[in-house]
Amino acid sequence: MKNPKKQPDAVRQARRTIQFRTLTLLLVFGVASFAALFAKAYDLTIVQSGDLQKRAATQQTQSTTISASRGTIYDRNGNILAISATADTVFVDPNAVARRAAELDKKRAEKMAEGLKEGEALPMTGEAYKELIVTELSRILDISEETVRARMERTQSQYEILKKQVEKEVGDQVRSFITDNATGESIQGVHLQVDAKRYYPYSSVAAHVLGFLNSDSQGAYGLEAIYNEELEGSTGLVVTAKDATGSELMFQYEQYYDAEDGHSLQLTIDRYIQYRVEQGLEDMVAKFGAKNGATGIVMDVNTGGLLAIASSPTYDLMDHHAIYDEMLQAELAKTEEENPPAPGETRSEAYTDKLGELQLRQWRNKAVNDTYEPGSTAKILTLSMALEEGTVNLNSTFNCTGSITIADYDLGCSNRNGHGHQTLKEAVGNSCNPAFVNIGLSVGLERFYDYMEAFGLMSPTGVDLQGDVGGIFAARERFTTLDLACYAFGQNYNITPLQIITAQAACINGGYLRQPYVVEKELDGDGNVVKQHDSTPIRQVISEETSATVRELLEYVVSGGTGRNGQVAGYRVGGKTGTADKSGTKDPITNPQGDIVVSFLCFAPADDPQIIMLLTLDTPRRDTGTYPSGGNMVAPTASAIMADILPLLGIAPQYTEDQLSSVESTVPYVVDMDEAGAAAKLAEYGFDSYRKVGEGTEVTDQAPAGGAIVPVSAEIILYMGAEKSTELAVVPNVVGMTPAETNRALVNAGLILKSTGAAGESGIKAISQSIPPESQVAQGTVVTVQMGQTSSIAD
Amino acid sequence: MTKEEQRRRKKEQLKEQRRREREAWEAARGPLDLPFLLLALLLLAIGLIMLLSASFPSAQASRGSNYDPLYYFKRQSIFAAIGAAAMLWVGKINYQRFRGLAKMAMIVSVVLLVLVLIPGVGITRNHATRWLGIPGMAVGQFQPSEVAKMGIILYFADSIAKKREKMATFKEGIVPYLAILGVVAFLMYKEPHFSGMILLVGIGGMMMLVGGIHRNWIVLGVGAIALLTYALLFGNLLELLGGYNSGRIKTWLDPWWDPQGESWQMAQSLITIGSGGLMGVGLGKSRQKFMFLPEEHNDFIFAVVFEELGLVGATLIMVLFAFLIIRGYWIAINARDRFGSLLAVGVTTQIALQTFLNIAVVTGLIPATGISLPFFSYGGTALAIQLVEVGVVLSVSRQVPAPKAG
Repeated sequence: MKNPKKQPDAVRQARRTIQFRTLTLLLVFGVASFAALFAKAYDLTIVQSGDLQKRAATQQTQSTTISASRGTIYDRNGNILAISATADTVFVDPNAVARRAAELDKKRAEKMAEGLKEGEALPMTGEAYKELIVTELSRILDISEETVRARMERTQSQYEILKKQVEKEVGDQVRSFITDNATGESIQGVHLQVDAKRYYPYSSVAAHVLGFLNSDSQGAYGLEAIYNEELEGSTGLVVTAKDATGSELMFQYEQYYDAEDGHSLQLTIDRYIQYRVEQGLEDMVAKFGAKNGATGIVMDVNTGGLLAIASSPTYDLMDHHAIYDEMLQAELAKTEEENPPAPGETRSEAYTDKLGELQLRQWRNKAVNDTYEPGSTAKILTLSMALEEGTVNLNSTFNCTGSITIADYDLGCSNRNGHGHQTLKEAVGNSCNPAFVNIGLSVGLERFYDYMEAFGLMSPTGVDLQGDVGGIFAARERFTTLDLACYAFGQNYNITPLQIITAQAACINGGYLRQPYVVEKELDGDGNVVKQHDSTPIRQVISEETSATVRELLEYVVSGGTGRNGQVAGYRVGGKTGTADKSGTKDPITNPQGDIVVSFLCFAPADDPQIIMLLTLDTPRRDTGTYPSGGNMVAPTASAIMADILPLLGIAPQYTEDQLSSVESTVPYVVDMDEAGAAAKLAEYGFDSYRKVGEGTEVTDQAPAGGAIVPVSAEIILYMGAEKSTELAVVPNVVGMTPAETNRALVNAGLILKSTGAAGESGIKAISQSIPPESQVAQGTVVTVQMGQTSSIAD
Repeated sequence: MTKEEQRRRKKEQLKEQRRREREAWEAARGPLDLPFLLLALLLLAIGLIMLLSASFPSAQASRGSNYDPLYYFKRQSIFAAIGAAAMLWVGKINYQRFRGLAKMAMIVSVVLLVLVLIPGVGITRNHATRWLGIPGMAVGQFQPSEVAKMGIILYFADSIAKKREKMATFKEGIVPYLAILGVVAFLMYKEPHFSGMILLVGIGGMMMLVGGIHRNWIVLGVGAIALLTYALLFGNLLELLGGYNSGRIKTWLDPWWDPQGESWQMAQSLITIGSGGLMGVGLGKSRQKFMFLPEEHNDFIFAVVFEELGLVGATLIMVLFAFLIIRGYWIAINARDRFGSLLAVGVTTQIALQTFLNIAVVTGLIPATGISLPFFSYGGTALAIQLVEVGVVLSVSRQVPAPKAG
C-alpha cells in the first residue's frame, strides 16, 4: 500500500537536494573559482608585470646600430695621428647562395628538358655557381678557398663574415664582382657591410699615447680607451620588434635614435718631437743594450702639456699584435727555437705565452705606468726645498769625504775619494751625495715629507693617460732620518718618470706645479671646441726667486758639472744627471754591481725655461765601453734631441764665440768668379776658409755646391780650372777623437764636419757620428758628430 | 465500418493526437532565457574576435593555413554560424524528447571512443590518438571525447532523473555511473587524453552529486580527489603511470626552469599575460602572438586576451563567463523537472570546468593540461557541440515556470 502523502514528500526532498547542491556548484564554479583566477591574474599582470614585461621586451626587440664616425686625434699642429675611414666587411649568406644554386640547377634541368633555342646557353650548374663565388672571393679578399668554402657550407646561417674591414678598393672589387660576373646576373648571397677602420698615419709614433681599438671598434688602450666615449660619439639605434623566428615586424613599433659623430681630440703632442724622442730612445736602447727599455718625456714647463711622451719598447699601431721591437723579436725567436711546436700544432704553448707577455710589454706605457727610483735627478727637489726654506744658500759649503754615516749606515758618494770642500754650486755640479744628505737633513723630516707631498709625488699626476700611478713612499709616521738621507739623493722611494718631471718642472718654472696632460681640446663634429684644458697651476711649491736660483745652479751642472754632455750649441741649457741603483737587483755572484737606471733631465732656455725633458734608460749594460751613468749614456742623446727640437719650437739659438764655428750657412754660388770675388762672396755668407785646387784664374767648380747648407767652419774647395774629383770620399771613424782631430780627419777625407753637443771645453771627444765609418759618400758631404765627455762622469 | 472510414478515423485520431501534443508543448513553452542566450552570444562574438587577433600571425606564416591570415577565423566563423543556428533550433525542441536519445548517445559515445583506439582508424597527433575523421582532411575531424561529453550529460540526466531517492543507495546511485565513468575514463586513458578524462569524470561526478547521492559518498569523493591531486602533484604518480606528463609539475612549480626548452610554453604564457598589465597593449597589438606563444589561438588564447586587453579586459570576460555559469545553474535550480535540472547542471558544469581549468593552466595556477576555452579556442566541431549544448540549456529554460504574479 502506497502512502499518498509519502510520494510528494520524497519529490520535495529530492527537489530540495538538487536545488541546494546546484546552488553549491553555482557558488564554487561561478564565484569561488573565478575569484581564484582573478587573484592569480592580478599577481601576473600587476605584481609581476614589470619583470615579465622586461622579459618580453628582451625577446621581442632587436636593435640595429648605425655607427657614428669616430673622432680624429690631432697633434698640436693639426697633424692627424688617428683617423677613421670607412671600410667594408664582406660576408656571405650561405642560405641564399644555396637557394640560388638550387634554383640554377632547376632552371638548367628545365631548359634541358624543353631544349635550347638558338643562341641560348644553358644556365650554369649550382656547383659551378658556388665555385665561382669561392674562387673570386678568395682571390679578391686574399683568403684561402677552403675558408670561403667552409663558411658557405653553413647553410643554416645567413651571416658568415669572410673578412672584416677591408680597404675600400677591395670592397669595390667585391661590389663589381657582385654586379658584373660570369653568370650574367648579379650574385646573390654575397654582401658588404660598411663600417669604419682606424688608421694611424705615423704607425708607431705616440703608440702608447694613442692606443688602439679592439675588434669591436672599442678603445682598448691609450687615449682611444680613456676617451672612448667622447671619440665614439653615440651610436644610432633602430629598435624594431621581431617575432620568435627573428624576422622584423615592420608594422609594429620602431624607434630611432640618431647617430652622433664622435668628438675629435687635439693633443699637446708634437708629432715631430714625439718621433724624435722615440728615435732617441731607440738609439740609446740599442747602443747600450738597455734590458728594460727607456722612457722620454718632453713637457711645456708653462702649461704642463706633454709635447712628447714615449716609452721603449714600442709597437706599430696599425698592427698592434705584431712584436715590433727588434730586441723583443729576438727574444720571441729564441723562445720559438727552444720550444718547437707539438706535432700537428703550428705554435708551442710557450711561444704563445711568450707572445702574449711581449705584447703586454710593448703596449705598456712605461713613462706613466712604471715607477723607478729616480736617483740624482731628484736632488733638484731636495735643493729646491732647502733653498726655499733657507736652510742652505749659495754661500753654504759642504765637505765630502767620500761617504757619510747616517744611523750606522755608510752612504757613499760616487766619488769614493770625496769631493772635499765644495760650495753649494759645486756640490750640485758634482752631484755630491754626502752634501745632499746634509741639505736634506737641514730641511728636517716633517718639512721634507711635506714638500714631497706638495710636489705631487705621493699621488698620481692626474694626467689623461692610462694607468697613471702614484709613488711608493715610507709612511709619514715611519719616515726615519735614514729614509730622509736616502730620499735626499733620490733613492729608496719609487715614482714614475712623469711624476718627477712634473715636480722638476715646478722647480724651474717659478715654482708652479701643473697637472700634466695630453688632450688640449675636445672638438665636436663641426670643429667647435667642446672642452679646453685648463692649465691653472695646482699650487706654487717654491717661490719665483728660489726657482731662479735652482735654474742657475742647474745651468752650471750642464756648463761645468756632470751634465756637460747635455750642452746644446746656441742654447743655455740647465739639467741634472742621474744614475740610480735599482734596489734588490744586486747579487754577489751574477750581478755584483746591481742594475741601474740612468737618466738625464734638462730644460732650455736655462734663463727662461720653455721645455723640460727627462730621458731614462732602464738597466743598460755595463760593458759597452761607455761609463754607465746618465751623463755619459743619456745626456748626449738629450743634447741631440734638444738641438733638433728647440728651433722647431721657435726658440732661436744664441751662439757664443766658441759655438759660432758650428753655425750653418748657405754656400753661395761662386763659379765663374775670380778668386778675390769668390772669397769676398764666401766671407759675406760667413765662410772664412777656402782651398784652391788648380792654377786657373776663374772658379770653374766648387764643393760643396752652391745652395748647400754647411757649418761656416767648413773649408770650401774652389776648383780653378782643375777637374772636380769624382772620387767618393770614405768616411773615417772619428769616435774618440778630439774636436780638432775630428775636423782634420774629415777635411782630409773631403768631408765637412758639423759638431753638436758640448764645445769649448777640455776633455771632450767625438761620441758618435751621423754617417757610419767606411761609408762612401760624395765629397763635401756634411757629417754630424756629437761631441761630449767620454771620461767617466759619475752622477 | 468500411476500410475507408477506418482510415479516416485513424487519420483524425493521429491529427488529434498531434494537436494535443502540440498544445501540451505550447502550453508549457515560455520564452528562451534571454540573459543566458545573450551571454552565450556575447562570449561567442568576443571569442571570434580574439581568435582573429590571436591567430593571424601564425596563419600568415604557416603553409598549413595557406599563408592566409584569416584562415582560422573563417573556418571558426562558419562553425560558429552553424553552431548558433543549431543552438536556436535545439532550444526550440522540447527537451523531454532528448530522453529518448540518451541511451543511444551513450552507446555511440563508447563505440566512438573504442573506434578511435583501433590502429589505422584514429588520427594521431603529438603522440595522442584523439581524432576521428578522414585522414589528411582537416574538415570534419572531431574528437570522440567531445561527443562523449554530450553522451554522458544526456544519459546521466535521464537515468539519474528517474531514480530520485534511490540515488542515495550504493547499488543504484553509485555503481552504474561509476562503472560507465570508469569505462570511458579507461578508453580515454588509452588515447591518452588526460584532460578530457578529468572533464568527463568531473561532469559525471557533479551530476551524481546534484542527483542526490548519499552525503558520505560526497565526502569520500572529495577526499579521493584531494588524495589523487596530492599524488599527482607531489607523488610522482604521473611518472609511475608512464611519464606521459613528467616535466609539467616541474614547470608548474618553476615556470623558468627551462625557458628555452620544456618550460618554454609556460614561460611564454606568463610573459604574454604580464605584458598586458592593467590595461593591455590594445586589441590586435599582441607581440607575443608572433610565434613566441605556442597554441596562441588554441589552448593559450586567453593569454593573448590578457596581453591585448589587460587585467581589466580579461576580468570583464571572466565576469561574463561567471554570469553565464551562474545563469546556467540558476536555470537548473528553477527547471521544471529533475531531467531539466540535471541537463542544465551537466552542460553548465562542463562550461565551468573547461573555463576554470583553461584559465588556470594559462595563468600557471595549475599544471598544464590541454583544455580548450569555450567559445574562444580554435576548433570547429567542439564549438558547434558547445553551442548545441547551450541550446539544450535554452530548451530547459523555456519551461522554467514563470514566477507567479503577486
